[in-house]
Amino acid sequence: MGGFRITLARFVIIGGFLLLWEIASGRWIEPFLISSPSRILSSLIAGFREGDLFQHTWVTFQEIAIGFPIGAISGIALGYCFGRSRFLAEIFEPIIIALNGIPRTAVAPLFIVWLGIGLWSKVGVVFLLTFFLNFFNTYTGMRQMDREYIDLASLMGVKGWKLSFKVIFPAISPYVFTGIRTSIPFAVIGAIVGEFVASTEGLGFFIRMSAGIFKTADVFVGIIVLMIMVIIIDKIAEMIEKRALRWQNQTEHIQIQA
Amino acid sequence: MSEPAIPTFAETQMDGKPVIQVEDVSKLFRTPTEGTIGALQGISLSIIPGEFVTVVGPSGCGKSTLLKLIAGFSPPSSGRILYQGEEVRGLNTKVGYVPQESKLFPWLTVEENVGFGLDAKRYSRQDRERQVRQFINLAGLAGFEKYYPAQLSGGMSKRASIMRALAYEPPGILMDEPFGPLDAQTRMVLQDELLKIWEQKRQTILFVTHDLVEAVALADRVLVMTHRPGKIKDIINVTMARPRNIFEIHRQDGFDDAYGRLWNIFRHELNIGPD
Repeated sequence: MGGFRITLARFVIIGGFLLLWEIASGRWIEPFLISSPSRILSSLIAGFREGDLFQHTWVTFQEIAIGFPIGAISGIALGYCFGRSRFLAEIFEPIIIALNGIPRTAVAPLFIVWLGIGLWSKVGVVFLLTFFLNFFNTYTGMRQMDREYIDLASLMGVKGWKLSFKVIFPAISPYVFTGIRTSIPFAVIGAIVGEFVASTEGLGFFIRMSAGIFKTADVFVGIIVLMIMVIIIDKIAEMIEKRALRWQNQTEHIQIQA
Repeated sequence: MSEPAIPTFAETQMDGKPVIQVEDVSKLFRTPTEGTIGALQGISLSIIPGEFVTVVGPSGCGKSTLLKLIAGFSPPSSGRILYQGEEVRGLNTKVGYVPQESKLFPWLTVEENVGFGLDAKRYSRQDRERQVRQFINLAGLAGFEKYYPAQLSGGMSKRASIMRALAYEPPGILMDEPFGPLDAQTRMVLQDELLKIWEQKRQTILFVTHDLVEAVALADRVLVMTHRPGKIKDIINVTMARPRNIFEIHRQDGFDDAYGRLWNIFRHELNIGPD
């Protein structure tokens, strides 16, 4: 019953908020400032039916679908290498920390200059925003993991790549998944920032253009589509994480006399 | 108990070549605060096949360090260690190691943990399965093959941890206070099981403990170590017959004698006068 009451309360709050918004719009606040839920809904439907909203969504999705895996995998790989080699880590750690100090969105215009206003400059920004999060989480995992697992496995004759895949990666996987999941919203931010700077299509372009001509409803439409995109990607990541870390989520303990 | 004094397995094997030979080994550690610390000093020791040797000593006397050196986790500062006649250089992959905490791989099931050491050792699929099943049964873990370590009780993880070291049948097994954190009853049950398995398999065991009763109950020989830097103070032969009854170990012939000698040595170590 507790679960049901929480769900009910949640719907009442959200419903009440939307209702208040609908009433306020046009009565107390100018619609061009806040639009209204009904207008946003009809714009959303119209955008996908007649407009080019689908094309914009597809473009942004592509930027993320290419940039995010590259950023995540290279971040994880570098974190792993640093964890395995003290030599590498000691050389590069201060450099990485210094680079991390740069406000990354400030670099976005440079990517436009280097890679043009098309897909690849956005892929570059997505990469930049996801790489460091994945790197730091994986590297932390490498330093925090219990070295005794490596010692024991080595003593049992496991070495090289087998040691990495059978022991090290499973041991750091909770950290790796934290990195992946915290970087998902940043992947979307990267794509949108890239599109804000210079673009001809994509949801960031759509939002900026709509705001420029005061089509406030369309601005909200763009935001909602982005929000849904983040939720879907995160749900997929969550499913993979649950499957991969099912050994952690075993709550059913058995109690028998030793 | 009026059983005839059967010679211990160790006594019948006196001509066997030692599995573990420690020759005048010392180990120094450098610490940032206290400078150089001597953990072990002039340790010499020879363990023959099938022998069960326990090591007791005050905490911090380098008992665990001795095991780590034999496992090859780090080299001795002087002296040398031979395992099956060969000098230990780098990791000693022919030895089994049971750490203080169970340290089962939490991402693997009981079955996968127990079989872990077999993969690097060229077992055929059938041999591997048979071996894993046999050791899971020996440990009384049948039915729990698919469980993850997080689901096991302390005693069960401990059993699985020991089976992981036994399953690939290394000739020598090092155990670092494996029963330390368990409650008294579980401890006795596991001691009893360990002895039963050992009587079947006769692997050579070097077992570190801080419990004097445990040291005597399990061992053919008890090695007594001194305060840091750890030296061998004495070696006590335990002449109790086998198989032993762990639950009534006090009543067995030879227990009092060995325990009395051990306690005498410890009394001096701890500076406790005679009663």
